[in-house]
Amino acid sequence: MTGLLVKFAMASDTRYLPVVRGAVGALTAAIGWDEAECRAIVLALDEAIANVIRHAYGGRSDGPIELECRESADGLEVSMMDAGEAVDLSLICAREVGCDTPGGLGTHIIRDVMDSVSYQRTESGNRFLAAKRLRKQA
Amino acid sequence: MKISIRDVGRARIVEVDGDVDLGTSGALRRTLFAALPESSILALNLEAIRYIDSSGIATLIEVLNDSKRLNKQFVLFGLSTAVEDVFRLTHVFRIFRIVRTEQEALGDAPPPAVGRGV
Repeated sequence: MTGLLVKFAMASDTRYLPVVRGAVGALTAAIGWDEAECRAIVLALDEAIANVIRHAYGGRSDGPIELECRESADGLEVSMMDAGEAVDLSLICAREVGCDTPGGLGTHIIRDVMDSVSYQRTESGNRFLAAKRLRKQA
Repeated sequence: MKISIRDVGRARIVEVDGDVDLGTSGALRRTLFAALPESSILALNLEAIRYIDSSGIATLIEVLNDSKRLNKQFVLFGLSTAVEDVFRLTHVFRIFRIVRTEQEALGDAPPPAVGRGV
């Protein structure tokens, strides 16, 4: 095993979002990103969880979410599972950025910040996978 | 998250302290929508916001759109580095009126009444 693995088994309750942000912020700082990059990664993962709460669980606060953040050889790998409604993949990032329409910003943030992002539907629910590489200075 | 409101002349200043996320943005939205019709200028101080997510940004966009409909001014000031980063990521800098200080935010407001009731 490489590095540190942080796991959350949580309900889809917004009260837990600050808890996850605090832990992920500490993990990304330990891996080696600077303060601004840590904030961006924390935001991206917070947006991914918020999307599950809002869309997969329709705002319910009792749906199960399992989040794993693993320090990899070259950065961070994230895996999240939920048992909510299937995500409509055609609507992900369907919004234009920079306009005055309020919805759909979260998925753009996730795509902008993370190096790879994928959404999958499995027999047990939705799976979100993402990774971010640490670019070491020469 | 804590929200406080005060009036300066015909402007209403809303100050937010804490995190604006999916769990708290609804309260900010209700506050701003209630404050908007009550003043010529609604100025939002973002200096004490430690964190804002896309639901917070979406709330600000909604209030901006409503301010145009009501012919009111909606001004943001005191953006912290953390807030600026999220504005940059969401490409919303150009759609808001953003200034540095409260004084600049109130620049277009008429001066407060002086000596009334004395």
